[in-house]
Amino acid sequence: MSLNKFALYVHIPFCVSKCSYCDFCSFVPKNEQVSAYLQALNAEIKAKGEFYKNYQVTSIYIGGGTPSILPKNVIFEILKNIKTNFKISGNSITIEANPNSFTLEKAQEFKEAGCNRISFGLQSHNDEILKILNRKHNFQDLVNAVNYAHKVGINDINVDFMFGVPTQDLEDVKESLNRVTNLDITHISCYGLILEPNTPLYNEVKNKELQLPSDDECVNMYDYAVDFLSKHGFFRYEISNFAKKGYESVHNKNYWARGEYLGLGLASHSFIKGVHWHNTSNFNKYLSTPLNCMENIEPETLKTAKEETIMLALRTEKGLNIQEYNKKFQSDFLKEYKNTISKLSTQNLITIKNDYIKINDFNISNAIIAEFF
Amino acid sequence: MSDRQKFIRNFCIVAHIDHGKSTLADRLLEATGTVAKRDLQEQLLDSMDLERERGITIKLTPTRMKYNYQGNDYILNLIDTPGHVDFTYEVSRSLAACEGAILIVDAGQGVEAQTLANVHLALDNNLEILPVINKIDLPSAEPEKVKKEIEDVIGIPAMHAPCISAKEGTNIEAVLEGIIKEFPAPRGKENAPLKCLVFDSYYDNFKGAICLVRVFDGSVKKGDKIKFMQTNNVFEVTEVGYFTPKAKESDVLLTGEVGYIAASIKKVSEARVGDTITNADNPATEALPGYKQVQPVVFSGIFPVDGSKYGELKDALEKLKLNDSALDYQPETSVALGFGFRCGFLGLLHMEIIQERLEREFNLDIITTAPGVSYHVFKTNGEMIEVSNPSNLPEQSFIDHIEEPYVNAHIFTPPEYMGSIMELCTERRGENTDVVYLDEKRVRLDYTIPLSEIIYDFFDSLKSRTRGYASLDYEMADYRPSKLVKLDILLKGEICDALSLIAHQDKAYERGKIMTEKLKEVIPRQMFEVPIQAAIGGKIIARETVKAFRKDVLAKCYGGDVTRKRKLLEKQKEGKKKMRNIGSVEVPSDAFISILKID
Repeated sequence: MSLNKFALYVHIPFCVSKCSYCDFCSFVPKNEQVSAYLQALNAEIKAKGEFYKNYQVTSIYIGGGTPSILPKNVIFEILKNIKTNFKISGNSITIEANPNSFTLEKAQEFKEAGCNRISFGLQSHNDEILKILNRKHNFQDLVNAVNYAHKVGINDINVDFMFGVPTQDLEDVKESLNRVTNLDITHISCYGLILEPNTPLYNEVKNKELQLPSDDECVNMYDYAVDFLSKHGFFRYEISNFAKKGYESVHNKNYWARGEYLGLGLASHSFIKGVHWHNTSNFNKYLSTPLNCMENIEPETLKTAKEETIMLALRTEKGLNIQEYNKKFQSDFLKEYKNTISKLSTQNLITIKNDYIKINDFNISNAIIAEFF
Repeated sequence: MSDRQKFIRNFCIVAHIDHGKSTLADRLLEATGTVAKRDLQEQLLDSMDLERERGITIKLTPTRMKYNYQGNDYILNLIDTPGHVDFTYEVSRSLAACEGAILIVDAGQGVEAQTLANVHLALDNNLEILPVINKIDLPSAEPEKVKKEIEDVIGIPAMHAPCISAKEGTNIEAVLEGIIKEFPAPRGKENAPLKCLVFDSYYDNFKGAICLVRVFDGSVKKGDKIKFMQTNNVFEVTEVGYFTPKAKESDVLLTGEVGYIAASIKKVSEARVGDTITNADNPATEALPGYKQVQPVVFSGIFPVDGSKYGELKDALEKLKLNDSALDYQPETSVALGFGFRCGFLGLLHMEIIQERLEREFNLDIITTAPGVSYHVFKTNGEMIEVSNPSNLPEQSFIDHIEEPYVNAHIFTPPEYMGSIMELCTERRGENTDVVYLDEKRVRLDYTIPLSEIIYDFFDSLKSRTRGYASLDYEMADYRPSKLVKLDILLKGEICDALSLIAHQDKAYERGKIMTEKLKEVIPRQMFEVPIQAAIGGKIIARETVKAFRKDVLAKCYGGDVTRKRKLLEKQKEGKKKMRNIGSVEVPSDAFISILKID
């Protein structure tokens, strides 16, 4: 019998401090909370491994929060537990880390645990901007961290960079990108800041204590990044993701292909057999019932399946494969969206070539994708 | 004249808006015991909610009252009349059904434009006028001065006019006495062939169109075959009766009486106001005078906001038309707004009432295009066509000249506002024909002015320039040649037909400029640049640009973001559905309304 495949996401909801823009499920933990969480998480891993024994794991992503702040050996134990309870077929295990909590010791542990890809949250080289974001590291921390990774033999390294932050200008962006591309890394995630309601940064902007760069400035920053990064060997393969040839994120590409994934841990999201859900984001609830805390269970409909397929694919550089769409939905994409396609083509907003349809300007991708809804 | 006829009085009340017509009507109903005080709703005769809200009367409800005066039982028929200039013809037919008219004048305000217009209508119909000075309870009341004004301005004796307060119920008996003593009893021959004047009609779901009538000669009863002398339609009477003010069936309507006739008439348009009903088997030789086919003078397009509601809009208009023969509508297709109707109205108030009823009673969201008038377009081949929809205007090269409707407008104002009013009228292409000083505090300005200039917001401008002191009245005059052009609005190079209008050449530039500026405010940024242009006959006269938005993107989209992001985009799409597509440009429904509000 052939096995199904999915990706695993493991959520570590702890941080040393909370970033000012972050609305993720993460918090600064007390000691006993960490051990209680690991107990629940390991119970979930065991039970879900049994439940999904017909699945093969193609990639693992340990995110957060900040997985790198966990005490010694914890990551090792988690991955060991996963390997015991799940069938692992792929060879892509990514872990997120903060530049200042990533020591040589940590690097060795991660390597031994099986991690072969590390994602560092840098966001900016500029201390002033990092202060606005309430991040506790500096650029030198990243330089050191990248060195540690290489030392232990982890060479697939991502750096997160953020633009559109209050007080940031194009010169800042240029300097950050210049420094980052001088490091020996394989992947850069380049995000425009999104203000999420009820975050400190959102309130500061709302109260006019800080001001976001204008739309035009943000567009210039992004366009500059796309151009600069491609000149330095990092090619865009999704709106916010740039990689050297052969180093595209396996785990994330599964999301964008609308492949299946299982989330483990507090507030983690899953998509299996056409159903979306997530675990509770209530910490105590998760501790008491880690095996039974699914929330917002939403089965797909033909409409939502199509919308998600189009939305995710149009965010990638390749675009949407029309043949695959037609096969999957027993449809004729070009006929189904004839009017939309004709309107968007006339305005030169999309390109259709070699069975793919793609967006010409990612800066307005939402508006273009919404046309297909 | 029979003894019975001697004790009938048919009368109406004419007044300016707010001078207390409805309140006096209520007091009369109360004083004659027709309606007990506890049952009396505020302003009982105005039956539609909308009328009550706006404080105006649109529909007429004739009410029979009994009153014993010096030992004799009198029947008093009060025929209420609409107060607004849009309904002048209906007023004139109501007046024709009466022998007398109570003229109410506000003791503080004095004679106003509408008062005068309605008095003249009453005098034209040979009615006796009983002036009544109302609101004597107000501190500003100057009854003696107002009496003198009535004598000077209108030219009727007013020294013995009852001074009353309808609100407080003061001196109502004097009004009743005046009705009986001043107004003549109805003349008319009981044995002559039937002659009934239809002065109003309305639609009843069970009985069909109901005619409100005044019997001039003869009598009518259930089972009679009646004939409408204008349309020659014959019906069999199913019911006659009168109002108290509730409908009450009776055996017969006799000479001089006022009441209603039901005869299974399917449409109100078959029971036209002004028509004469006679007996089909024993017809009168001559109809009563004064019949006129009502003609709409203001036109606008009405479209459903949601294109799929076209059927509902059609049904709603059909139902309104059942009860409103003045409403005129024809299917219209707009490139911008889809399927809708070109509607004709008696005036702006009539238009607003229809719009509000569509929205309130039928729960429809509608888009109304700019109101316009009907132009006479003389083509180079000698043909004349009537054009009320700018889209139907022939190309410039086929037009020899265009004529537009003018009205005679009468504006009453305290002298200090004269300059401001004259300025306004000149801006609106008005031509001053007369200035009459009525007394030291009141002037009448007469203007000939294009109808198209007063249907926008002339009345509002007049009120604001005179702090509400001026009043306006107008009647249709004639058609006159005018330098008119079609002004088009182009969005991204495509004409938006729903925004086209016909304007005077000297004003088209300014109007085009204002419209493009206004549209720039209301059309949101889109994925591409949207030029907004105003053009006259292919020549661009104004341009604004809505720049393309440059950023509409959410950065990350990983496992946890998929459903949330999909829902965000679904919401974004929902927002777009409320837009109208003009070519590739999305225009909010508000845009069409917003340009109605500029001048």
